[in-house]
Amino acid sequence: MASIGISGVRKSYAQFPVLHGVDLEIADGEFVVLVGPSGCGKSTLLRMIAGLEDITEGDISIAGTRVNDLDPKDRDIAMVFQSYALYPHMNVAGNMSYSLRLRRTAKDKIAGIVTAAARKLGLDPLMERRPRALSGGQRQRVAMGRAIVRQPKAFLFDEPLSNLDARLREQMRGEIKKLHQDLGATSIYVTHDQIEAMTLADRIVAMNAGLIQQVGTPLELYDRPANLFVAGFIGSPGMNVLTGRYEGQTADIARLVLDHGPAIPLGRAYPLTDGTPVSLGIRPEHLELSPAGGAGLAARIELVEPTGFGTILHLVTPGTSSIALKGFTLDRAAAGASREVSLGFPPERLHLFVEEKRVEPAS
Amino acid sequence: MSALAPDPRFVSQAPGPGQRSPFLRRLAHASEPWLYSAPALILIVAVMLVPLVLGISYAFRDVRLLNPFSGGYVGLQHFHELARDKAFWGALKNTLWWTGASVFLQFFLGLFLALLLDKPFYGRGIAQALCFLPWAVPSFLSGLNWAWLFNPVVGPLPHWMVSLGLMSQPENILSDPTLAMWGPIIANVWWGIPFFAITLLAALQSIPRDLYEAAAIDGAGGVQRFFSITLPFLAPTIAITVLLRTVWISNFADLIVVMTSGGPANRTQIVASYIFTQAFKKLDFGYASAVALVLLVLLLAYSMLIVLLRQSLLKKG
Repeated sequence: MASIGISGVRKSYAQFPVLHGVDLEIADGEFVVLVGPSGCGKSTLLRMIAGLEDITEGDISIAGTRVNDLDPKDRDIAMVFQSYALYPHMNVAGNMSYSLRLRRTAKDKIAGIVTAAARKLGLDPLMERRPRALSGGQRQRVAMGRAIVRQPKAFLFDEPLSNLDARLREQMRGEIKKLHQDLGATSIYVTHDQIEAMTLADRIVAMNAGLIQQVGTPLELYDRPANLFVAGFIGSPGMNVLTGRYEGQTADIARLVLDHGPAIPLGRAYPLTDGTPVSLGIRPEHLELSPAGGAGLAARIELVEPTGFGTILHLVTPGTSSIALKGFTLDRAAAGASREVSLGFPPERLHLFVEEKRVEPAS
Repeated sequence: MSALAPDPRFVSQAPGPGQRSPFLRRLAHASEPWLYSAPALILIVAVMLVPLVLGISYAFRDVRLLNPFSGGYVGLQHFHELARDKAFWGALKNTLWWTGASVFLQFFLGLFLALLLDKPFYGRGIAQALCFLPWAVPSFLSGLNWAWLFNPVVGPLPHWMVSLGLMSQPENILSDPTLAMWGPIIANVWWGIPFFAITLLAALQSIPRDLYEAAAIDGAGGVQRFFSITLPFLAPTIAITVLLRTVWISNFADLIVVMTSGGPANRTQIVASYIFTQAFKKLDFGYASAVALVLLVLLLAYSMLIVLLRQSLLKKG
């Protein structure tokens, strides 16, 4: 187990830059999730840590040792691939013991380690099977077993659950989290699934277009997104964003004048000059619905998407320049299509962004 | 017509002649698929089976083009002759030598070439195209070309071999009884490498790259990765290509006929070229057919052996 340091790391493919300088410190035993849309460079970063991609610029260190020029096998890391990458010509036991056999570990010791790992993952009855005779979830477990037998300094996961169906993904997510609790090994996990990121991570690293957008605990990213990208990426359904101009220098009159319409009182003053163009974000679950005619923004429920747990509402404000918003409510009775409602914007739930970046209220 | 009269369309017809004899109907049913496939079947029988049966029948008949009175049935006489024919046994030995050396060298050099071409490098497309070029040369032309290359009067090879100290003076190895077989073998290897390179390269490129990455992380070096990933993936392709090439090469007389005609002193005569010599030089079609039949049986036995081996390997795997 070890800490991992990434400083000033860049990556270009033949003049075409994909990572523009990444700095990140990962503590010993931490579970860090790299999350972002496809093409954001998260997998490339992971593969650079693993030693599968050259580092164009910058340094990566594992346990304080610079590993830029080390081969993957000398970095003492283990990786779980999206495709599992199991050796098709070896059975489960063979797949799991391969790295130990290569290191000429004593036979009885290998047997002990592999049996222990298999028991931990519930693979005991499958040890003689070839990968092609296994289901997706079983293959995934074998891939994890192959990683844990070596007791590496760090685990790297490259979208390990993407090929599984939703139910299995949920189950494996729990198993990975439990495994991390048991082993306490430093782990870096790449995913584009924000639920996986939120549920697994000690810290999330949100990436976009080759840059780190925000690093923080899952709830930090949810409660205080650093910019519009993170605001939109974390949370489902995604955050509503309204654009307009800021007005009012004190808490009681501070408000957002929408581009083509009414104003929304902000309840708190922000360190901005009047007329600054701002984006206002509010999560669907934080919109307050009240019967039509109330104090808030008038809107009509256009579409209702029940999820069972709650209901997603597609809301439209009336008028020629109508705004589409999404709401989320647990109150089934309130969620009737084509119902007129009034939307409240609770001040403590509002996120203000100027030029994509978060602005905190003046204290 | 009265309104109550039944509509003639819905009244069952009186039993026709077909229904009265269910046997004929059953026959028609049974023969229906055969009748549909008859054109193709007749074509296959006419084009493949008739010549095969005719050829086999020659082996038991005295068919000599220069003897107008030949054509009679001679039973196993050709085979008795064959058993005492030293040239045939020599040819059989040469066939083993020719096939073994050609397949061995073609396979290993082809595998080497495929592994080289699998790695990305600048100009790989051109290199691939060039490496596959020999395959496009007609075997007859390549035989002529190599015969000239080995000829000290017009070809450079003997002179190069003298310069390298492999030969004391520039001689044609095709006329040296101890070395002559190497001439056609080298030509055959040059001509046949692309076959292995193409098929093995295709198999190599179908191996998922992340397996190599997983192995690299697991700690496998280049050699270990080759033996634990590349080779198991290539094994089925290797088995089938080596089987095919073995059969083709043992039948492949073009290069030998063009380069040495089996000489000197039958030292490069293989069974296939021996058949050619018997049939088209001595014009003894009956004897040639008998030799061909023996070759056919040997190759069939070999193929069956490989197929059985493959089956048992698949069952184990």
